[in-house]
Amino acid sequence: MTEPIDTSIYSAVTAAIQTEAQRILAAGLVTAIVGYAASRRNGSTQPIIVTDAAAAEKLIFTPASVNNLALYLTKAKKEIPKKGKIGIVVKGCDLKAIVGLMGEAQLKRNDLYLIGVPCAGVLASTVQPSTALTADTIASKCTECDARLPSDCDYVPNVQLPTQPQLAGKYAVEIARLEALTPAERWAYWKEQFAKCIKCYACRQVCPFCFCEQCLCDRNKPQMVDTTPRPAGNTAWHIVRAMHLAGRCAGCAECERVCPMDIPLNLLNRKMAKELKELYDYEAGFEVNDKGPLTTYTDKDDQSFIK
Amino acid sequence: MQKYISQQNLTTLLDTLIKQGTRVVAPHMNAGVPLYEPIQSAADMATGQLPRRSAKEAFFPVCEDIMSYEKEGQRISLKDIDPARFPETVLVGVRPCDAAAIPVLDEVFSWDYKDEFFLERRKKTTIIGLACTAADDACFCTAVGLFPGETKGSDLFLTPLEDGGYACESYSDKGETLINGNKELFAEPTKTKALSLAEPQTEKIDLKKVKSWLDEHFEDPLWDGIATRCVGCGACAFVCPACHCFDIVDEGTEKAGKRRKSWDACGFWKFTHHASGHNPRDLQPKRYRNRIMHKFKYYDDKFGQTLCTGCGRCVRVCPVGIDIASIVEEISKK
Amino acid sequence: MHPEKQTHDFEPKIIAFVCTWCTYAGADLAGTSRMQYPANVRVLKFPCTGRIDPVFILKAFQQGADGVLVSGCHPGDCHYIAGNFHARRRFAAFRKLLEFVGVDLNRLQFSWVSAAEGGKWVEVVTDLTEKVRAMGPMTEFKELAMEEQWSGAINTPELKEAYSQI
Repeated sequence: MTEPIDTSIYSAVTAAIQTEAQRILAAGLVTAIVGYAASRRNGSTQPIIVTDAAAAEKLIFTPASVNNLALYLTKAKKEIPKKGKIGIVVKGCDLKAIVGLMGEAQLKRNDLYLIGVPCAGVLASTVQPSTALTADTIASKCTECDARLPSDCDYVPNVQLPTQPQLAGKYAVEIARLEALTPAERWAYWKEQFAKCIKCYACRQVCPFCFCEQCLCDRNKPQMVDTTPRPAGNTAWHIVRAMHLAGRCAGCAECERVCPMDIPLNLLNRKMAKELKELYDYEAGFEVNDKGPLTTYTDKDDQSFIK
Repeated sequence: MQKYISQQNLTTLLDTLIKQGTRVVAPHMNAGVPLYEPIQSAADMATGQLPRRSAKEAFFPVCEDIMSYEKEGQRISLKDIDPARFPETVLVGVRPCDAAAIPVLDEVFSWDYKDEFFLERRKKTTIIGLACTAADDACFCTAVGLFPGETKGSDLFLTPLEDGGYACESYSDKGETLINGNKELFAEPTKTKALSLAEPQTEKIDLKKVKSWLDEHFEDPLWDGIATRCVGCGACAFVCPACHCFDIVDEGTEKAGKRRKSWDACGFWKFTHHASGHNPRDLQPKRYRNRIMHKFKYYDDKFGQTLCTGCGRCVRVCPVGIDIASIVEEISKK
Repeated sequence: MHPEKQTHDFEPKIIAFVCTWCTYAGADLAGTSRMQYPANVRVLKFPCTGRIDPVFILKAFQQGADGVLVSGCHPGDCHYIAGNFHARRRFAAFRKLLEFVGVDLNRLQFSWVSAAEGGKWVEVVTDLTEKVRAMGPMTEFKELAMEEQWSGAINTPELKEAYSQI
């Protein structure tokens, strides 16, 4: 049973993005706009940086607009000159990453012109980009989305979000399944998953929060994590990655989407988010916080695990 | 030599080889992902989808030890890897785009330095290619001069027939040996019709023209245009059947450890990062330019071949939708 | 006189990451007070528990530790005011992560041991050592260290030998 998901608003969203982009570029309000454009494969999109009002017509929004473009605003992307105000097309999940980056003093709100997208969901990475959006082909993250309408943007197309069918939260179900296993069974599960890893670092490179100029895992003095794509180094890498994102990850699930070996990386991130919610009542959202759950403390924090 | 082999006999052939102790590597589902992997039984073969990683892995492992060291007091002992231990292998169900890349790789691994890790594995492996009957819109073998029935690189080539069996043709001594060693499983060619081959939706690209443009345009605005979006991961190079760059690292402790060789990718910022701190390819477009240059110019300059077989894997895995087929097509029209 | 040394079939390797101001001084006190505690523990001294990166724990397991202890100043006693408060949150999160990937948390102990608590140090170290001894060797990471991608695997006696040396 594949329940279709109504994405009819996306054509109106596309038209609105184009008009707004043209207006703000022509008026000189922004120097560039990061958005989505069509690419060769049927139905596919790719990120595009538009600097000319005449090229604004290239901007689109479709169920294949999967990328979190916040990545292009970080200092990791030296190729994008960060001059003047930059416009960016954001879904709710992407906006949470931008909010997180503001909290970490990586971005300033005043340097950005946010074009928010009312989002009915995007496609899973495992299907062809031309696939129709249904309850089965929707990205796992969208089944647990609480941010279909981004808030505090500079512009949001005036469209009515269709009601979405009730979707079972895919991560919650999978995390519960894994938690019910014994440690040995969980180890076996992750061992099989991590063994597939080839250390292409796509998960790191697309993560808006992996903006370190030199990753700990690229260093060889000291070499804390083996760099070779063997099961041992892979496991260490994925544990370190999850830990470094704990309390920071905004849940865009780009790591999982881009993994060429389909390792369910966002499960680790969701698990950590769940724990931090339980422990410190912290959740990634639309409110800028200077301190994340692991960069602050209270004197009453749980220490039942400490002797 | 042209032959026919039924589905049943192919299964028997592979099972027999496995029983005899030959390592049989075939497309196989691993935790939901199709990969070329050693199989324990012919029934484990899953040829339905293009494996996510290419067949180069059978000769050029993701990671391999090339030496080990041990230190005891002042005495350091080194141990080489003995290539004689590489197992005899039959690589079966190889897509034409993967098989065609292997002779291309032979050139670079046997050029000024004979890489015994690659060449010894190559010597010990028989490649059974399988004609391709399904393509998606990322496939572009036809654009780079190959086609879904391409036999380049295969020792034995199978074409699926309507009756479930295969037309089988050998293209090397290794292929002949395999047939002759299992004569009872092969029959004379039949008149059964072959299944229709896949039809990738791409037009042939004039690679000479691409190369001559690349000869003149090391500096060009095109590079910024296509590759500013590149995020600098290694996914494209790692899934590519023809990319062959590797890194060598020592891993272990002061007392004992290994020297290991593993895949590397020109997209990584560290790829050409000098010890001095200088990086001649300091920005992503320069790194991506190298990917295109190496595939369509440098390799051609040196070995007269193109380092791309149009498998489309890089197109499918690129996190930001960079499409090498459309880039090369764009260049060919300049 | 020393009490007679008990012999065991399995002597676990315990790595203790301790802060220099409290737990290291506490361990020192245990020593100068001539208290006995298992020699299984290897102590690594850090300025503060706040300096102890979770990756150190991971590395310890990878290098063959059967159990890991992290210990520092009691809350409120940190020489750097809040290092241990930060560490408390970080390790609360990290142990959840390790648990989720399948590490048995009985092998990982956290404690607050002050410079005056030589006795508590002995108790913590002894408890962890005996607990880990009863569990047997930590094999998961060691086995993982021996695994290769199929394409790079060659079955050689040297590899087996290397395993036994970890």
